[in-house]
Amino acid sequence: MPVTVEVRSGGGDLDALFAWLRRVDALFSPYRPDSEVARLDRGVLALADADPLVREVLADCAALHAATGGWFDARATGRLDPSGYVKGWAVDRAAGLLAGRWCINAGGDLRVGGGPWRIGIQHPRRRDRVAAVLELTDAAVATSGAYERGAHVLDPYTRRPAAGALSVTVVGPRLGTADAYATAAFALGEAGPAWTAGLAPYEAMTILPRRRVLATRGFPRRATAAAAA
Amino acid sequence: MRRALAALVVTVVAVWLLVSYETRPPRTVNPNAPLGPDPTPRAIAPRTKAAEPTPTPRPDGVDGDSRTVTGPATITPFSVIQVQVTLTKGRLTDVVTVALTGDGPHTDAINARAEPILRREALRAGGAKGIDAVSGATYTTASWKQSLQAAIDKAKGRD
Repeated sequence: MPVTVEVRSGGGDLDALFAWLRRVDALFSPYRPDSEVARLDRGVLALADADPLVREVLADCAALHAATGGWFDARATGRLDPSGYVKGWAVDRAAGLLAGRWCINAGGDLRVGGGPWRIGIQHPRRRDRVAAVLELTDAAVATSGAYERGAHVLDPYTRRPAAGALSVTVVGPRLGTADAYATAAFALGEAGPAWTAGLAPYEAMTILPRRRVLATRGFPRRATAAAAA
Repeated sequence: MRRALAALVVTVVAVWLLVSYETRPPRTVNPNAPLGPDPTPRAIAPRTKAAEPTPTPRPDGVDGDSRTVTGPATITPFSVIQVQVTLTKGRLTDVVTVALTGDGPHTDAINARAEPILRREALRAGGAKGIDAVSGATYTTASWKQSLQAAIDKAKGRD
């Protein structure tokens, strides 16, 4: 799945950053037949022979699979696809290449350095609106939802699109973990908010149907009261 | 106080959360710990969905445009829960737990989990003024992101 990565930074080695992202894509893309992930999935590459970065990511995915009770699943589609974790993980790794005040936006999942940054949370029903505005400094924020591109999060138990929440936003120190938690909480549906209550320092906001919003107590306060509808 | 006649639609979320949370031991996993090869599985909420209670609230107080309503006390297998919500101009603006009882470590464990997420509010839609970036669902289409980002940039006068 192509992901647009946008970087705003006053300093740092942007060439090195994008070279790193290209290397990640070459190693992990399930859509490239020659990637290590695709070869692992076909069984023509043994895990022991894989790149150490690939082994690290798959170990992280296994840990997150256990930590989420199976709700984060790099094999939810029936094939090996760690993309949901790799994107955030790659951004976390790239953070060291930037300096000062910077923002990496990887397909709607963000990590910011310095701050404060004013981050809007996409409104799940109205594409030209935001549901909340957060002021974040040195943080990662990931949102999982089904309002765009159909339902892309699969319930790993039923292998059908997750239902019950419109979107889940997770804020915390690392983007890879925040993204995995958002994915798992979204797949959990109505049980998601209760589960997110114990993830500190990761904090979550779940938008449910009928204008209901549930946020963990430590979730960043809105920077502004959004304009009255 | 005709403006206070906004329809009262109250869902006692705390009750729903507790009812939906079955017997589980307290969590022992520290999610902040570095990811290792052998994490302890984390107990999570069951997949079965509990029936959502349908309380019939009675008005407790009316103050200008807002009114505060206390839901009925609801008994779960482990505790009694009662919450109070405040509606301002028909919108849910506050949720307060007014009663949360129970005995034993099991109830404590449940309450410890349910209590932190009682911060609840109604969804609002706002414009994109003064925003640096937008977090949305992963794999959002480029055109959609661009349209919103363009609106943000325009609002900030950078267009």
